[in-house]
Amino acid sequence: MSDKPVVIIGAGPGGLAAAYELSREGIQPIVIEKADTVGGISRTETFKEYYFDMGGHRFFTKMERINRIWHEMLGDDFLKVSRISRIYYKGRFYDYPLRMFKTFFNLGPLESLLILLSYFKVQLLPHTEEVNFEQWVTNRFGRRLFRTFFKTYTEKVWGIPCHQIKSDWAAQRIKGLSLIVAVSNALIGTQNAKSLINTFNYPLKGPGMMWQRFSETIEAEGGQVRLNSAVVRLRHDKGRIVSVSCHKDDETEEILNGHVISSIPISQIVTLLEPKAPDKVLEAAQNLSYRAFIIVVLILNKKNLFPDQWIYIHSPEVKVGRIQNFKNWSAAMVPDSQKTSIGMEYFCNVGDDIWTKPDTELTDMAAQELLELGLAEIDDITDRVVVRQPYAYPVYDQDYEKHLKVIRNYLRNIDDFQTIGRNGMHRYNNMDHSMQTGIKAAQNVMGANHDLWRINDEDEYHEVAEKREPWQILTEKALILTFARMDKLAFATAIGSVSGLLFFIATIWLIIKDGRVIGPFLQLLSQYFIGYTVTVKGAFIALGYSFIWGFLFGWLFAYIRNLMFAFYIYWVKKKSDILTFKDFFDHF
Amino acid sequence: MEAKKKDNNLRAKKEKLFSGVLWLNVKVMGLVFGLVCGLLIFVSTNWLVIKGGHTIGPHLGLLSQYFIGYRVSFWGSFIGFAYGFAVGTLSGSLVGWIYNGITKFRN
Repeated sequence: MSDKPVVIIGAGPGGLAAAYELSREGIQPIVIEKADTVGGISRTETFKEYYFDMGGHRFFTKMERINRIWHEMLGDDFLKVSRISRIYYKGRFYDYPLRMFKTFFNLGPLESLLILLSYFKVQLLPHTEEVNFEQWVTNRFGRRLFRTFFKTYTEKVWGIPCHQIKSDWAAQRIKGLSLIVAVSNALIGTQNAKSLINTFNYPLKGPGMMWQRFSETIEAEGGQVRLNSAVVRLRHDKGRIVSVSCHKDDETEEILNGHVISSIPISQIVTLLEPKAPDKVLEAAQNLSYRAFIIVVLILNKKNLFPDQWIYIHSPEVKVGRIQNFKNWSAAMVPDSQKTSIGMEYFCNVGDDIWTKPDTELTDMAAQELLELGLAEIDDITDRVVVRQPYAYPVYDQDYEKHLKVIRNYLRNIDDFQTIGRNGMHRYNNMDHSMQTGIKAAQNVMGANHDLWRINDEDEYHEVAEKREPWQILTEKALILTFARMDKLAFATAIGSVSGLLFFIATIWLIIKDGRVIGPFLQLLSQYFIGYTVTVKGAFIALGYSFIWGFLFGWLFAYIRNLMFAFYIYWVKKKSDILTFKDFFDHF
Repeated sequence: MEAKKKDNNLRAKKEKLFSGVLWLNVKVMGLVFGLVCGLLIFVSTNWLVIKGGHTIGPHLGLLSQYFIGYRVSFWGSFIGFAYGFAVGTLSGSLVGWIYNGITKFRN
């Protein structure tokens, strides 16, 4: 490990986790944050003592260490919340996670029947390839269910048609259960699945409280968290960063020869390099796109508006995508329990007609839509505020992978420089994954050699694997052995040979014994084995016949056994796929 | 393309069910076949003994042609069990051995 300074650009979950990891090892990092608060896109904003979250962040992870750190940071201020959320579609509320029978009841018998028929149709005739999101969802749930529950909301979130969204995004976000876990769950109900979680943790005063504690801990260990400070230039030479220039209060400071960990958008960081990155890299950076997000917070003079923490708005008539009710996340989010603060969330692009609307128009639109949805009257609204968040979601469009590869290949040549987090890696990471990239990047600074780009693919899997009890590993091994495919030809030959041998020996044995009447009862076999007699010749005839019958029986047994197992696995897999449908939008 | 390949590899690593070929444990196969054969003769014999009647199990008694000393009686059922177990064990082990041999050859 070198004694060079470590500069972390961005004080979101990834950057703070990296700084925290370094602080624990006695390294004092310098965290540079452009905003006036920590937390990045999972920060908590404040308006007249009302706290609100930029998008609703549940704290739930399968990564044991991250979970432990969260609890250590907040102690009793880390609440356990029972989740309540619903979908609003065509004037009706649907329980969320979806409950199959209630959903069908709401949809009515005809629509339910059509959905089922559409599901069975796609099971028989699925899309042969799953290149885009529409194909991915349709293959799992049917076209009609896709149109009913997935299309509108997804297109609100991403602003592009579902057939232009790559299926990678769905596959990355919605991992579902592996076959082995699904079968294990079905047989003995052993392993927990994220999709079944109905409670989550949440900081007393929003996620910002968590990031503030991180910041305080880092500073207590001697690190620095510099707010309102922007990185304006990264000078590099001979494949190394030679200085990081930061701008704060009209002054520019240069930090020399540092390790750099960046969590700001990867498309931005390449533009700060000096000498300039090659044109093709800058062009690739320009072509990476991000979805932005506007939250219109309305304070209402009502004690209870609805019981949910959030509602997904699938109705195409309104532009709002999701509505948060902050006091249902934690009562401490509002200063007056007689009032309610809600966040109307609009997904947009920087510069589009929603983004450029003046605040007054946005708040009027939000109030009007709230009225249209029948959730409150305009007169109930006592106060309102708008917050805009660019770079909220990296977009997985058709070409993003190609552009990202160009940038990654270029940045790979710069030593002591790592990108982390959702925007730093242009990956739709959750908070826990972003933190994990930060922690691993910090460990790399201290001499480890982690490939950060593999974290989302494999880390959770390894975490789950590492956490498994010995009996679970044994169960898994037993399941793999049990569900292995039986070789039909081998089994048929084995059964044929042994049964042939048995009849051969049975006949020969009687001949050797040489009684007065040789095998009158065994002779009855000739009823089935035409030409069979209790003679040496007959023994060979019996061998032939019983080999054939044994072979046929063995083959059929192995075939039916394999078929039944395959059918069982298919059934369990389908069941687990349908389970992902229940909480599909949690993955957004 | 790269991501897809990685995804497939990961999926293959995760989804091991039905991806391999079944290997039979020769000893277990022998034991199972042995127990099944032995118990089959034991139960069949005792069933006839319990049913009773004028002539007890004339046809099952023919097994004595192969199983020297076997009779359709309570004690005979133990002898039958021993013979059945021996034949079953040999047959089961042989099935397992042949199956594994062919499977090894084919894979």
